[in-house]
Amino acid sequence: MKRTLAQSLALYGVVILTVAMILFPVYWLVVTAVTTTDELYRLPPTFWPDNPQWDVFVRVWEAKPILKWLANSTLAAVGSVALSMLVSVSAGYALSRYSMKGGATMGLFVLTAKMLPATLLVIPLFSIFSGMGLIGSLWTLVLAHSTMIIPFATWMLKGYFDTIPRELEQAAMVDGCSPVGAMLRVVLPIATPGLAATALYAFVLSWADYAYARTFLVNSPDNWTANLGITTMQGEYVTYWNDIAAASVFVALPIIAIYLFLERYLVGGLTAGAEK
Amino acid sequence: MSKFLRRLATGAAAYALAAAAGLAPAMADTVLKFISWQTDDAGTGDWWHAVIAEFEKQHPGVKVEFTKAERGSYADTMTTLFAAGQPPHIVHLASFEFQMFADNGWLEPLDAWIKQDGIDLTGWAGQQKCQWNGETVCIMMNYFGFVMAYNKKILDEAGVAVPTSYEEFLEAAKATTKDLNGDGIIDQFGTGHETKGGAGQYLTEMLNYVIAAGAYWTDSEGNITIDTPQMIEGLKRWKEINKAGVGPVDMTASDVRKLFADGKMALRLDGPWLYGTTEQGLAKEDIVYVAPPLHPPVGGSSNVLAIPVDISDDEKALVRDFIKLTMTPENQRLYATMGGNTPPSPRADVSGVEKTIPHFPVLIETMKAASEAGVDRIPTGLELNYNEFSKMIMEETQRMLIQDLDPADVVKTMQAKAEDLKS
Amino acid sequence: MTDIPVAGRRKFFDLARPSRQHLLGYILIAPAVLMVAAIIVWPLFVAVDLSFQQVKIPRLGAAGKPFSVANYRWLFSSQEFWLACWVTLKLVVVVTAGSVVVGLGTALLVNNRFRGRTVARLGMALPWAVPEIIAVVIFAWMFDSSFGLFGWLAVQLGLSGQMIPWVSNAGAAFWAVAITMIWKGFPFVSIMCLAGLQSIPADYYAAAKVDGAGVWQRFRWITMPLLMPVLGVTVVLTLLWVFRDFSIIKVLTGGGPLRSTQTLSIMTYDQAFQYHNFGRAAAVGVLTLIICVLASLLMLGRRSRSIY
Repeated sequence: MKRTLAQSLALYGVVILTVAMILFPVYWLVVTAVTTTDELYRLPPTFWPDNPQWDVFVRVWEAKPILKWLANSTLAAVGSVALSMLVSVSAGYALSRYSMKGGATMGLFVLTAKMLPATLLVIPLFSIFSGMGLIGSLWTLVLAHSTMIIPFATWMLKGYFDTIPRELEQAAMVDGCSPVGAMLRVVLPIATPGLAATALYAFVLSWADYAYARTFLVNSPDNWTANLGITTMQGEYVTYWNDIAAASVFVALPIIAIYLFLERYLVGGLTAGAEK
Repeated sequence: MSKFLRRLATGAAAYALAAAAGLAPAMADTVLKFISWQTDDAGTGDWWHAVIAEFEKQHPGVKVEFTKAERGSYADTMTTLFAAGQPPHIVHLASFEFQMFADNGWLEPLDAWIKQDGIDLTGWAGQQKCQWNGETVCIMMNYFGFVMAYNKKILDEAGVAVPTSYEEFLEAAKATTKDLNGDGIIDQFGTGHETKGGAGQYLTEMLNYVIAAGAYWTDSEGNITIDTPQMIEGLKRWKEINKAGVGPVDMTASDVRKLFADGKMALRLDGPWLYGTTEQGLAKEDIVYVAPPLHPPVGGSSNVLAIPVDISDDEKALVRDFIKLTMTPENQRLYATMGGNTPPSPRADVSGVEKTIPHFPVLIETMKAASEAGVDRIPTGLELNYNEFSKMIMEETQRMLIQDLDPADVVKTMQAKAEDLKS
Repeated sequence: MTDIPVAGRRKFFDLARPSRQHLLGYILIAPAVLMVAAIIVWPLFVAVDLSFQQVKIPRLGAAGKPFSVANYRWLFSSQEFWLACWVTLKLVVVVTAGSVVVGLGTALLVNNRFRGRTVARLGMALPWAVPEIIAVVIFAWMFDSSFGLFGWLAVQLGLSGQMIPWVSNAGAAFWAVAITMIWKGFPFVSIMCLAGLQSIPADYYAAAKVDGAGVWQRFRWITMPLLMPVLGVTVVLTLLWVFRDFSIIKVLTGGGPLRSTQTLSIMTYDQAFQYHNFGRAAAVGVLTLIICVLASLLMLGRRSRSIY
């Protein structure tokens, strides 16, 4: 596909401008972190401080248990990914391979799960979890997040499985494999991109949660996830925006790293699913 | 296939065990859960930690788990916990929040205990606010009076004297609002108020002018007294201050305090807690605390300690001990020296505090002035609907500012809506 | 498919038999249904139940209050509710449209072949990975009325004479919220559209070019129709997200000024946790749910079968 020089310049120009505009807030986050509060409350805004306070990162790291918060977020996310993958793979496979009665209603039913505001769910959920003795534990997040993730993940995986011809499993079953075995040994390995995509989606969603963490973990600071930890940095009388920005950088970095690492699977996994 | 499944199962079991191990609480000690928004606060937070340490020493085998929940969502955090039957053992609430919990019967009445242990609460500042339906449901932790802090350097540079009345205050604010570097945008402000955020703080700041004009939302019997000439004057002043361009727009009190502490603002009316912020600010050396130019000053009850009904009797006994510990003369004195607060106990020995906190006598003075004038943030008769009421007032006031309405009309609207709320 | 004699496994649970295939299907989908039922459906019933009681703060497990439609009566006659509906509608339309335009645009852009394309693709959708809380922190600061970057930019560009009061001006507040939501919402559309675009065979375009179709015509007659299913689902999901979202608005404007950014979800929260009236909050919540279901059905309609 040949392009004229003008077209190339235009394309590159637009791309660079767009990416710059989109990523600007992230850059601004870093700038806010290393600027002194005195300079922050001043106009014109400093695009790069004369005296960048890089030690804000050290200070915040030492003042707040950032590592523990990150570890908790990771634990909750890993747990959510594991549980939701288990459930969604099964459900997505079932929907793909077996035309079941009421498949579409089941589908809409699962989609409905995405329609409920957290405020409505919070107190009954709190009651369920406290009945199970789970309040304060990361298991509440694993359960709650998984339930958030499953609807869309199931849809994504179903689409992905649809692209894998059934002949493969049938061939395996002729060879003496059970249906479950066929699924596990034949289909899943081929579906790795789709699985990676779902895992990434699940991880990002779990990491992003704040509402559930705030409600279920309020009593146990040892289990606070990163988002919750950051909001507790807001003092009653004063809030140090550079400190919060620095903490936010710590929290955003891991998830951005994971996203960068797994993103190609996301598009690939969705591409197959989008082919209908 | 079975090998794979087995491996999967073992992995899952291991994960479950590991997580469960993390779940198991330390079985040995009794743990009292204490949630508060003040855990990290300079001064007051330190005081809590000191009291907790003393309590744990006196009660071996008992640990107090002191957790932070931020103020912005504090009420709904507490609501969720209480509604699901899992309140903290030591209940810490703001003075405008506890009424709803008391009304639902969730707070343990304390009169029997007070009588039995012979606790003398006469003269305990603000304690009458802890009465609900004829019962004592909490102990007042802090009753304060507002102060005025000013930046000496800024006032001197503008050649302005320290204001002693509302008119002087407005003039001083106008004289010190400047564009310092000539870029057309104001960088130094005369004063500042909370104009973004919750209604509670918004009303508290409004009250500076309303109370000084002789008005208040309700009278001592709970009748709504908004449609009065004094309230019109109060609203007029609030409008003047906001429209004069002497303060930053759309700012939370927190950011306003930071600006002031860093020397970008000349005057600030606030509670004793301002001290913690200014001590950490860049303009620390230039800031002076005096009594506010408005009489009587804003003041009132700040926060309370209570006991939930839904815990065991043993735990209740422990919490009572904790509360009693906060009330001892020694700890009340510590509240002043460490926290920079005015202790509610009339028996607290506050001599010599001004050595570490120079403006302490001013705090005591304004607290007494507010107390004598019967000032409080929570209007009698509207305690249960305070959230709705304050939100309504804030909205109508914002409407007045945005649409430039006449205060005389606004008070009529507010009066009508407040009466609707009450019914 | 013939019966496969598997040693030792007969009878009911011989899942290889075609008549038992459906059973395996149900077993596989059971965990999903159970989890959703326990963690979503039961609380939903509790919420509906609450909405028919005049209850302030519910005590779960305690006896409920008598059945009453007072909450719904209050809701339908309350100006606040209709205003919230209107604000929600405005926000949904603006944010969804904005997200689709930016999302589709960036997807089309990145679908081209050029050097650094992978980096551009990563950068375009990065906001998706940034947790909402952090996004809100930074946008709230950029939208600060006295020191924020956006206000200053507006002054520099001559769009405004002075710093914009983002929170106390109804129009500005709405746009502050909308812009933040679009920034957070478009990457998802972008990723989905990119996936959709990449599944369109290149031969279609080649054949169209041979037939003399221009860029716009190729877009209109090949890209858009083939992208429609994906776009449809994405629009619905984005729409639902805007309906449900709460932390962005809560932190930026709190629903103000004068309720000009108070959506139904903010109203639900305020009723529950500020006014401590869970009955009314539940009523608003249930109504929001009904509206969402209707909206989704409308948008997907006959195509809802095709999702599953």
